[in-house]
Amino acid sequence: MGVVSRSVGNAFRNKVRSGAVIVILAVAIGLALAMLVANQAVASKVDSLKASIGNNLTINPAGARGGFGGGTPLTTAQLTKAAAVPHVAAAQGLLAVRLATNNGTTTGSSGSSNDSGRAGRFGTAGTTSLQSAVAPGVLGARNNSAGASGGTAATPSFSLPIQATGITGSLTASGTAFNITSGSGFSDFAGTSTQALVGSTLATKNGLKVGSTFTVQDRTMKVTGIFDAGTAFDNNAIYLPLAATQTLTDQAGQLSSISVVVDSIDNVSTTQTALTDALGSSTVDVTAGSTNLQSAVTSLGSVQNISLIAFIASLVTAGLIVLLIMIMVVRERRREIGVLKAIGAGNRTIGLQFVIEALVLVALGTVVGSIVAAFSSNPIVSALVASNTTSNAAGRPRQGAANAVGGFGGGGFGGRGVFSGANQLIGTISTSVGWQTLVIGAVGILAIAAIGALVPALLTAKVRPIEVLRGE
Amino acid sequence: MLTVTNIVKKFNSGERTIKPVNGITFSVEQGTFAAILGKSGSGKSTLLSLLGALDKATSGEVIVDGVNISALPDSKLTAYRRDDIGFVFQQYNLIPNLSAKENVMLPMEFAGVSHAERSKRAGALLEQVELTEEMHGRLANRLSGGMQQRVAIARALANEPKLILADEPTGNLDDETGELIIALLRRLSHEKKTTILVVTHDHALAGQADRKFRLARGTLTEEAVRRQG
Ligand SMILES: Nc1ncnc2c1ncn2[C@@H]1O[C@H](COP(=O)(O)OP(=O)(O)O)[C@@H](O)[C@H]1O
Ligand SMILES: [Mg+2]
Repeated sequence: MGVVSRSVGNAFRNKVRSGAVIVILAVAIGLALAMLVANQAVASKVDSLKASIGNNLTINPAGARGGFGGGTPLTTAQLTKAAAVPHVAAAQGLLAVRLATNNGTTTGSSGSSNDSGRAGRFGTAGTTSLQSAVAPGVLGARNNSAGASGGTAATPSFSLPIQATGITGSLTASGTAFNITSGSGFSDFAGTSTQALVGSTLATKNGLKVGSTFTVQDRTMKVTGIFDAGTAFDNNAIYLPLAATQTLTDQAGQLSSISVVVDSIDNVSTTQTALTDALGSSTVDVTAGSTNLQSAVTSLGSVQNISLIAFIASLVTAGLIVLLIMIMVVRERRREIGVLKAIGAGNRTIGLQFVIEALVLVALGTVVGSIVAAFSSNPIVSALVASNTTSNAAGRPRQGAANAVGGFGGGGFGGRGVFSGANQLIGTISTSVGWQTLVIGAVGILAIAAIGALVPALLTAKVRPIEVLRGE
Repeated sequence: MLTVTNIVKKFNSGERTIKPVNGITFSVEQGTFAAILGKSGSGKSTLLSLLGALDKATSGEVIVDGVNISALPDSKLTAYRRDDIGFVFQQYNLIPNLSAKENVMLPMEFAGVSHAERSKRAGALLEQVELTEEMHGRLANRLSGGMQQRVAIARALANEPKLILADEPTGNLDDETGELIIALLRRLSHEKKTTILVVTHDHALAGQADRKFRLARGTLTEEAVRRQG
């Protein structure tokens, strides 16, 4: 019979009360743990969303986007201006053009048109020997038809044009690094360059390897690298040096868009405004990679804060429960503490006995609370996320869709829900308990146990041995 | 072995100050079985609490085996209560959710005695106070008053103290059981040469003592004992 077993025994002296205390502690600790799990789950989701937003902005000519709209092409002077705006880490001019397959039966006029100037039918800026890896299909036929849209009537067979994008660096049109699966990036960015990067499916379709050649207009291009951009649309494209693209398509000094990398995700929206102001809102449209993703991050951020506050509040509640119940126990056992002192117990022995007694209650509360948390974490996360994102859900239309970007290609325009909101972007948040969560939870619970138990333990030191004679 | 010099204990209750102990001087030899008589509220418990270091005297000295306990710091007083004093109370004051044996082991635990040794000695002490083996494991609050007081006496003897202070140990017991308890204390004091001070207002029990004191109006006076047999 040592101090530990005595304390465990004391914890259950009043079984009904101890049971009630454990249940209340379990609810508070369970809630705290659930909030912690929610916090961690949301934090990792925010990280992954932030990573997928990237720090990118795209500058398009005002009124033009992808294959739609009109306006005046951007210029290299505007690129210089954009690069000078604060927080712009890098700005890359891009010239996206459509190349018709020269042995194919592409309808639509060929001419020296920027691909952003046309609507409805395909306009092409030049020709290539490459064959599209994507079959036109219904969407391609519809995009290419002259009359009312929506018709699915048989159309003459034709080949989809190939998107060629002129670049000046090592980033793709969306501002991310190339995933080059074989070969390497450009080394010659001059107007006379014959280097080209080819998407993986396009390379396969045309039997191209690193070092193979094909033609753009009348120039023979050499494949320096093959990239995998991850989607069928993006892999059915080629990249050329910007100057070469401008020369080959007679668009000297012209850009179809400017891709801007902002120094930090947090500066994206201010930089967006700054760029619009610098270049003029009548000249350019500046778009963020995804406004919805940003609003998703914002609303998840508030969920993160709420869950953190709730975690702390629940822990404090648990601490108060321990504190009050132990103060009550000490008051109740004043006389017994006097007895222990009268027969020679030191303050430390008695204090320790009460600390252990409190720890026993907290430990059992934690065991039951963990079970509570295991069952409540997922519903709590869903409830928190749902109530904090609905107001932001109907955001701005999202750019880009699988297999089709900007009214061009086999997938059509906006293959994915154009108006998909923040809610769908957040998707499911999985709650799994990582070791950090366990450590934080354990530390928090130990802290409350310590605080909740120390005060009463110190109170026992104040009880004088003469208390034993009370009531005699 | 116990020398008390002019001790005073003052209580401030509201406006008034009361001095239940007001200048008490006496001494007893090792192995003495002494009785202290006095009316209820005369200050008997207060006097014992000063001797047992449950409370501090307002003034005066208590010297036990040459050590002035009135001058000891708190940490030394804990050791004094643990090693040199055995208390027996009117209300027994056992820890109710511990067994008889566990109660007796408690002071030894505080003194750092190993579990095996504690268990062995507690068993022997319970035998000495005439508690049968089957009672040793019984919870303290399941024992009769007389048995609880026997356990309390065994607990008081646990660390082989020099001085046992018993505050009306028979107050809650019937006459017959009370006589047995007094006889037990008397036997122990003679066998173990332990000094025992028993507070009682039962003259018959006081008659068994080696020395007899009366506490009244804050002072202690010795009365002659008529030794029987
Ligand atoms: N802590 C205290 N505060 C005030 N008065 C006290 C205190 N303890 C005892 N007294 C008073 O001292 C007197 C003696 O009490 P006590 O020693 O318990 O008497 P006895 O044990 O002889 O019955 C009583 O009048 C009691 O009310
Ligand atoms: Mg009394």
